[in-house]
Amino acid sequence: MSYPPEYTPSSAEPRLNRPVPERYPQIRATSGYADPRVRRTGPGPGAGTEQEPERSAMLTARVAVAITVVIGQLWALTVATNAWMAGSTATAWWCTGFSAASFLVVLAAWRIGPRDR
Amino acid sequence: MSGPTPEERALVDRISADSLTTRRDYLRIVATVSGGLAVGSTLVSAGVLHRHGDGTAAPLKVADRLAPGEAVTFDYPGEDDRAMAIRLADGSLVGWSTVCTHLACGVLWRDNHAEQDGLYCPCHEGVFNARTGEVTSGPPPRPLPKVLVVEDEQGAVWAIGTARSGESEEAGLCRGLRERDPALAERAGCGRRS
Repeated sequence: MSYPPEYTPSSAEPRLNRPVPERYPQIRATSGYADPRVRRTGPGPGAGTEQEPERSAMLTARVAVAITVVIGQLWALTVATNAWMAGSTATAWWCTGFSAASFLVVLAAWRIGPRDR
Repeated sequence: MSGPTPEERALVDRISADSLTTRRDYLRIVATVSGGLAVGSTLVSAGVLHRHGDGTAAPLKVADRLAPGEAVTFDYPGEDDRAMAIRLADGSLVGWSTVCTHLACGVLWRDNHAEQDGLYCPCHEGVFNARTGEVTSGPPPRPLPKVLVVEDEQGAVWAIGTARSGESEEAGLCRGLRERDPALAERAGCGRRS
């Protein structure tokens, strides 16, 4: 038998000739750079910047929407107070309904997309 | 006592440089404020605030005589409802709640001013027309609630009812009558809604 031995693309041991996913189940097709479990790139190009800039812009937009809605609620509260003091109880309740619906909008803006940073 | 070490100073600098309130924190704060406003609006609509100058009470004699240009203050219909009866220069008699519709300060009668500027709230310079109760200038959002005053044969002045801001005297009287005696209100021609 000469040295080095002649190369053959397989092993004499059958269990080592199984496909790669069977032999190494922890290695996925995307193992390495594009491993989905890797959430941060670490130091390197882009390090320290937003990982998902479009999510960040959405969060800013949600804050803006919520503040705008709260300004509307402040206006509704003044209208409700004025209406109630003038005796228009029905108008006051309509304003309260508007305020409650606005609160639901703000609640949705808060709770939707918890991964946004 | 020694000052902070360079490491402590660097830590303080690092902490103050960080944005401690994130946008998610702002969202949580804004949501809390929003819920508070919704609860506040519910309380207002449910009647937690006192409606000044509103309600019913037995007729109250407020003055034996009132000369033109004179005014008399009294509490009607409740003891917290400050009110005023005024004899205008032409002899007509008017009555108003003197709780300002802006922030509930006391409204004053100015007999040295024109009738349209006769009632004045010194807190924020609100001015009301002494004959109509309408806002002439300043921040008040509503006219003054009315106190219905009448004069008997002897010239005595009586407060007999109230009318809310912008409400007619008849509507106010009917509303008061409905609250006290619905059957009598029906017989007097006061429908469910006037």
